[in-house]
Amino acid sequence: MNHKVHVIGVGMVKFAKPGASDDYHVMAANAARTALEDAGVEYGDIDQVFAGYVYGDSTCGQRAVYELGLTGVPIVNVNNNCSTGSTALFAGRQAVLSGEAECVLVVGFEQMEKGALASKFNDRPTPLDPQAGVMNDVQGITQAPPAAQMFGGAGREYRWKHGTRRETFAKISEKARKHAANNPYALFRELLSVEQILASPEVFDPLTRYQCCPPTCGAAAAVICTPAFAKKRGLQDGVYIAAQAMRTDYASTFEERSMIKMVGYDMAKHCAEAVYKQAGLGPKDVQVVELHDCFTANELLTYEALGLCPEGEAEKFIWDGDNTYGGKWVTNPSGGLLSKGHPLGATGLAQCTELVWQLRGQAEKRQVEGARVALQHNLGLGGACVITMYRRD
Amino acid sequence: MTDALRYDGKVALITGAGNGLGRSHALLLASRGARVVVNDLGGSATGGGKSSAAADNVVAEIKAAGGEAVANYDSVEDGGKIVQCALDSFGRIDIVVNNAGILRDSSFQKMSAEDWDLIMRVHVQGAFKVTHAAWPRLREQSYGRVIFTSSAAGIYGNFGQANYSAAKLGLVGLGFTLAAEGRKYNIRVNTIAPVAGSRMTETILPKELIDALRPEYVSPLVAWLAHENCEETGGLFEVGGGFFAKLRWERTEGQLFRVGRNITPELVEKVWPTIVDFGKSTHPADVTQALQPVLDNVNAGASKGGNQFIDVDQALGYEFPPIKTRYDERDLSLYALGVGAAADPQDDNELRYVYEMHGKGFTALPTYAVIPALTGVMNAFRDGQNAPGLNYGLDRLLHGEQYTELRRPLPPKATLSHRTWVKDIFDKGKNAFVVMAIETTDETGEVLAYNELGAVIRGAGGWGGERGPASDVNTPPDRAPDFSREEKIGPNQALLYRLSGDWNPLHVDAGFASAFGFPKPILHGLCTFGYAARHALNALGVDPKQFKSIKVRFADSVFPGETLHTEIWRESETRAIIRCKVVERDKVVLSNAAIEFYKEVPNTAPKAKATSTASSAASAKAEPTSGDIFAAIGQFLQKHPELAAKANTVFQFKLSAPSSVWTIDCKANSVGQGETATPECILELSDADFMLMCTGKADPQQLFTGGKLKIGGNVMASMKLGFLKKLDPELVMAAMRGRIGVAAAAEVVPPAAEAGPTSADVFVAIRDYIEKNPELAPKLQTVFGFQLRSPDSAYTIDLKTGAGAVLEGIAGTPDCTLELSDADFMAMTSGRADPQQLFTGGKLKIGGNVMASMKLGFLKKLDMKAAQAAIAANRAKGRTGSAAAPEAAPAKTAQAPAIADKLAARLGGVKQDQAVTLQLRIKDPASAWVLNLGPQGGSISAGEAGQPDATITLADADLLALAQGKAAAQSLFQRGQLRVDGDARLAHHLSLLEGAL
Repeated sequence: MNHKVHVIGVGMVKFAKPGASDDYHVMAANAARTALEDAGVEYGDIDQVFAGYVYGDSTCGQRAVYELGLTGVPIVNVNNNCSTGSTALFAGRQAVLSGEAECVLVVGFEQMEKGALASKFNDRPTPLDPQAGVMNDVQGITQAPPAAQMFGGAGREYRWKHGTRRETFAKISEKARKHAANNPYALFRELLSVEQILASPEVFDPLTRYQCCPPTCGAAAAVICTPAFAKKRGLQDGVYIAAQAMRTDYASTFEERSMIKMVGYDMAKHCAEAVYKQAGLGPKDVQVVELHDCFTANELLTYEALGLCPEGEAEKFIWDGDNTYGGKWVTNPSGGLLSKGHPLGATGLAQCTELVWQLRGQAEKRQVEGARVALQHNLGLGGACVITMYRRD
Repeated sequence: MTDALRYDGKVALITGAGNGLGRSHALLLASRGARVVVNDLGGSATGGGKSSAAADNVVAEIKAAGGEAVANYDSVEDGGKIVQCALDSFGRIDIVVNNAGILRDSSFQKMSAEDWDLIMRVHVQGAFKVTHAAWPRLREQSYGRVIFTSSAAGIYGNFGQANYSAAKLGLVGLGFTLAAEGRKYNIRVNTIAPVAGSRMTETILPKELIDALRPEYVSPLVAWLAHENCEETGGLFEVGGGFFAKLRWERTEGQLFRVGRNITPELVEKVWPTIVDFGKSTHPADVTQALQPVLDNVNAGASKGGNQFIDVDQALGYEFPPIKTRYDERDLSLYALGVGAAADPQDDNELRYVYEMHGKGFTALPTYAVIPALTGVMNAFRDGQNAPGLNYGLDRLLHGEQYTELRRPLPPKATLSHRTWVKDIFDKGKNAFVVMAIETTDETGEVLAYNELGAVIRGAGGWGGERGPASDVNTPPDRAPDFSREEKIGPNQALLYRLSGDWNPLHVDAGFASAFGFPKPILHGLCTFGYAARHALNALGVDPKQFKSIKVRFADSVFPGETLHTEIWRESETRAIIRCKVVERDKVVLSNAAIEFYKEVPNTAPKAKATSTASSAASAKAEPTSGDIFAAIGQFLQKHPELAAKANTVFQFKLSAPSSVWTIDCKANSVGQGETATPECILELSDADFMLMCTGKADPQQLFTGGKLKIGGNVMASMKLGFLKKLDPELVMAAMRGRIGVAAAAEVVPPAAEAGPTSADVFVAIRDYIEKNPELAPKLQTVFGFQLRSPDSAYTIDLKTGAGAVLEGIAGTPDCTLELSDADFMAMTSGRADPQQLFTGGKLKIGGNVMASMKLGFLKKLDMKAAQAAIAANRAKGRTGSAAAPEAAPAKTAQAPAIADKLAARLGGVKQDQAVTLQLRIKDPASAWVLNLGPQGGSISAGEAGQPDATITLADADLLALAQGKAAAQSLFQRGQLRVDGDARLAHHLSLLEGAL
């Protein structure tokens, strides 16, 4: 059985600060329209739509896609915290693989508010209660933004174990800004020095302001299809999804009283292993990676979860420059969540868009030379991790 | 000076710091550790010249005293350069003191444009340039303290300083706005108006005063405002000569005209005394507060109009102060005689109105119900108390219509309370028509009578307002009357009638009457009214006790001595139409009139009247309850159906502590307990907060944002509850009196305190638990304060000091303060209530570090049975089961030296291959230590290391916890209480400390 699912069209809008964007449905429709044009298909060709977003009332997906037409097509709204975008892609891919749909539109969008992520439903327990419980036991709870406490706490634990310097974390942000400088879709394109990053206000040691992704508004979309459909349209030589997996939390998330485990390290590790196995390829076969750098600490941990470097050696990996142009991999050529921005529902599809451009050789100044295999890592607390491997033969 | 305010690590920029105030600020801040940019152009006090000497001298002075400072000679107009100087020299900027200034005084007439511009440039433009250049930095670092220097000349004005005062007040506005813009970035902005003898004031103040006004009296305020502990922002302060004071705006309550009202200069002139009256005033602190009256006015709806005689907005709904009257058989008899009753003393039917020993029982003539009510209105008018907005005299007023209703027969004697309000105001074109409503209750609080007094106000109409209902009601049918009565009115009838209370000389004084255009005194309209009612009662043969109501229009005057002819048409068993004519002139004098009856005599015994004496003791102490308020709301809405119609919503109130449910159904205009209709908007709050809200002591908006009021359903509909503010406290009190009359018998003395556990007992149990679980305190590291209400008490659970303690009262500074009712606290600690739910339900308020409250989970583990046994034992011993009394807060003694001593003793034998130098920075109190480890053994000494491998920062108390083995270094690090600069693994060496003490 052929597991290939082709990605024949991608598109995104320029990410913007909260309050400075179009409304969600306009952004989403624009991204979807671009992806359809990119694929050369009509909205009428679409058999199913998967729409991902986190903050919004029910059926925002319909509201957005109705801008493109009213064809009665099935539309599924998807919500899976920060991994929402790639969860929509995961669901869309399954629809294609099942034979139920030939051509699927996946769109992700988010219209965020200013400030740190916060719970919207205060009349009931938050789904992150168990995670917060672990955190409370390990390090207590402060007034800092909750996500920064969680990932920052994982950073502390890593420092305690491996002695990592604060500069190392800052170095990741410096790299992200360098990459984003070449990405016209990114929110923050100014370069920052390690000193500037360290001098920005402390959010939760070791994280400073410039090591946290900003609340962002944006949308991105992809059109995926069966090999037969791609062939029919003459697109069979394009990018395809070679492997994909999703994992949720294991007992270790809650039982080991470890902040690193609590933020989903094992979930990512097992997910990556599954993808490598499915594709029959390993990290060494990959040239370019988009990974979930919501905070510098998480990018650092993810190098190890994805097997880009052995556990405990991320600091060396970073200072050796193996995460950027000229090194072993280019991680987050787009600027990542840190610089491009992190509109929760859109992020997974923006990562997909960047990697498709990379594999097609359309990434302009950001182009990673010889990119044939690309890896995408998208993580949500609560939790879910989706890892996708893209190829172009 | 252990608590000295220090500025270590902070960089301050002070403009104009070469002399006077600026120099004094700079010296003070530098002496306390700030690094200071001493800016001074070195010009003269009038802005001429330029020299570096002034700034250099101050810098030299600072350095000589061991401080750090750098001189800058740029003009404040080049503010960017001065800020850059701070960044170049010290790498940051924290404090900006805009102090530079010059004077160019002259009378306004002689002031040149150059004088004006120069002052504006230096003071306003300069302060802008400097602050604007520093602002991005302050925002970025989320810290800043900015001070502007204004002047009394700006605040109050001063002769010869037009330019200076304009500029100085400009800075006040700048300060206000920057305070608002900087608030969320932790930038605090304040403005001072100093009085100090300086170069600038030498020209205007006498020498002796200048000596008394040394700059050293001003700088301490500047220093405090510049300190990180000072949270004040947006303040304006007068300071100097030993005087320190804060200023704020004060605003008169002012005059409001509803939107849409035609406002003329004449109207403004008329209300001028109100506009400028500071008797009632407010102190708006921001634009939102400043706009509040306007917003309220807009929310109150469009103006209903008015003119110089009548302001409908003000007058409509106005309620007069309540009045009390009493009457007995004599008053009833006199009234009956006044309206012609018992003219035939043999007429048994009417004799009962005037003879208290009548065989069939003395009976009140029911129309007497108008007299006490009207007397109140008349007396108020006589005393010059008219409703606000009703600005006409008796000369324009004609009694036009009267409606009088009885809910049950008048008792032979009673003490009555009357509530009077302006019910309707209509614009009839040329005239206005004003309806006063009077509700009369008796001793029991039950409504006995209701009157509407309709007055024609001649020449007062024409503002284009509502015309009111059509007037052709109660027209006689087109047939001969079913009954008629004819009676000659006695020539002295008015003289008799007036003794019941209407003293208007029009009815007795011929001169007065002629002044109003009458040939002789006329009969009181209400006297005719009494005749008409009597005639109808007689003709219809109805028991006067069945009287329900009468409504009449006064069509024309009647002169005493004329013959009154009353025609009666029976419309139904309970209703008849009446018309009265004067036979001599064949004129209709009472028209559009009807009388109504109850089918049977209404219950004459109002509820529970008999218990009123028994309840007097209880009522003395009684407080109104929410039930009283809802009763009052019910009455209020009955009286103001238009408000109910406007709200048109079913509100449900879910009150807690004690809990009850109430429905205000504006659609059906009914208020009742329980869910009497499907609610559209649900409000949940405590009974106590509800009481505060309805008595105007708490603002619903604030309750809502404070989490004390939860609104469900149609949230926006809750905005329609504004009418609750209009609720008259007297209505509530009346409802309470009514309730007490009813319920007094049921009220019993609260039972003697039960032997169950109290909150004090629970705190004893907590103390016991903490004693048994010494690991708890080092783990939680938090001080909790508890403020319990009803009954009030306060406790501190200190899980930071040593093994922890429970203290009565609030001791020290809790990290986290919990406010809740005693009952909820008991419920929470006995597992009957969940803290989370109490919190989201607004019953538990948490201050300080909110998340710390999550650490209170251990309360669930309390063994209350054991606690109760302990309590019982304690009580047996005669101890009141209260927690330990607060100890005096222990002075903070540094633990680091003792720990270092112990450590030094054991370090000699600790050898390791790797040589490591650790800098230990201990805070609170501060100390610094160098820990060396290596192949030759270890050592620890006080001081600073040149090139440490890592710097470890932690509090003295945490160091102690490490040394006592009560805390682990990793846990402190993970919690952020222990910081490592450099390789964090080197902090693992802190395990050496374990067990040192």
